[in-house]
Amino acid sequence: MTLKEALDAGKFVVTAEIGPPKGTDIAEMIHHIDLLKGKIDAANITDNQSAVMRINSMSVCRLALEKGLEPILQMTCRDRNRIGLQSDLLGASILGIHNVLCMTGDHVSAGDHKEAKPVYDIESVQLLRIVDALNHGRDMMGNELKGATRFFQGAVVTPEANPVDPQLMKFEKKINAGANFFQTQAIYDIEKFKEFMAFARKFPIKVLAGFVVLKSAGMANFLNKFVPGITVPQLLIDELKAAGKENALDAGLNITARHIRQLKDGKICDGVHIMAIGMEDKVPTIMELAGLL
Amino acid sequence: MIITRKKDRNNILETVKKYDSFFLIGCSECASLCGTGNEEALDEMAEFLRSNGKKVTGTLIPKTGCQTLGTKIELKKDKDACEAADAIIVMSCGAGTQSAVEIFKDKPVYPSNDSLFLGNMTRFQMFDERCSLCGECIIGKTAGICPVTNCPKGLLVGPCGGMSDGKCEVSPDIPCAWVRIYERQKALNNLDEMKEVIGPKNWSAGQKPGNLSAKKDADKKEKKD
Repeated sequence: MTLKEALDAGKFVVTAEIGPPKGTDIAEMIHHIDLLKGKIDAANITDNQSAVMRINSMSVCRLALEKGLEPILQMTCRDRNRIGLQSDLLGASILGIHNVLCMTGDHVSAGDHKEAKPVYDIESVQLLRIVDALNHGRDMMGNELKGATRFFQGAVVTPEANPVDPQLMKFEKKINAGANFFQTQAIYDIEKFKEFMAFARKFPIKVLAGFVVLKSAGMANFLNKFVPGITVPQLLIDELKAAGKENALDAGLNITARHIRQLKDGKICDGVHIMAIGMEDKVPTIMELAGLL
Repeated sequence: MIITRKKDRNNILETVKKYDSFFLIGCSECASLCGTGNEEALDEMAEFLRSNGKKVTGTLIPKTGCQTLGTKIELKKDKDACEAADAIIVMSCGAGTQSAVEIFKDKPVYPSNDSLFLGNMTRFQMFDERCSLCGECIIGKTAGICPVTNCPKGLLVGPCGGMSDGKCEVSPDIPCAWVRIYERQKALNNLDEMKEVIGPKNWSAGQKPGNLSAKKDADKKEKKD
């Protein structure tokens, strides 16, 4: 079942992330693909995540497809101009890749090639419009294509951005530009997320709530301090502390599973997006704990 | 104005090592306000060159270094000093330096400054960049704040996910341009203007090298009207 079919069928969808490695040794990544296929509905293949140069997303998407895992092509506007982006979209399409997540992309200053020229010729909202045009058989200039694409395009949103209003205005622009589904930045406060969903439910879109597993109280504090749009409530930090160093990861997995269960049982959103960041092998554990396997 | 910063003096010395004598040209406009091409800066450079065994045949601070014709006329009185120099060091911006390149057909010309940006002076010798000279101004749609310049990604449609407490992901010292635009639009009761999707930007409007004949441009417009 494709991601679109799963969402259309009203399935509570689970997506996760595969981060291509830096270098040609893909043994571990293949292991993760094998581990996740048949369990999750689709996997985001990241695009030079955090502006660190790695294998490109498109090649790994194709590999995942061959392995039987539905890929979501993450596409940022950091490294390619409008010609490169459209050309890659056409390329992805003929390789059978039909899910695309349109993002602006972390600035090069975050990565390992800080002296690179950041491109941002266009940005996430424009990229969504471009995908819509390609789906209608035209490039962004209106030139006719010999064969249209059939992308299922999505975007990202940060429900806990501060201030949130300009972020919500951009969220609406993304919807108007053709985004069908959204994956959110990591959320830890279900009540706050419900408020966001009350707003998001006004629109004909699917929302997958983002999760980053907390490995320790220290990690929670780090996220609060350094990662934009993430707020881990003190109650959860206390819960991790109380579990002790040995059991902090288990506590973190339990918190994630508990939250996912709450969202699913309360029919709050349409699915979840688990960003394991190096702990891909724990995704099935979380799904089991959440009653999704 | 054009904001400039002095290059490392020892690097300049290394670049010009094969020459013995120099004529120095500053600028009374931007480079003077930046302290990179005023009398004090020229004196300092002359002193530095002399202390390293070089000769300074003369100095000039033209009124506007990037005004090529005017600078050429001003330099006439220094004809002998210029001729006596092996090379010219220009202590203004890249534009001023290239005026000298045009004027001195048979003499090497070297810059002593790095040209950084078109900037506003906020306090004495404190500058920040507000305009990127992109060729197609959009600040009429963004509450007068330029996102092409003030956002490190030059985003035209709103803040990215990297914004945190109104600050930029690139540095907490940079206020998010789109939060600033949002706040100003809100204060002006113009938030509906933020709903417009600007772009994709026409980057060809700022194609390099720029070239404009204001008179021809005006004549053309007149004809059109």
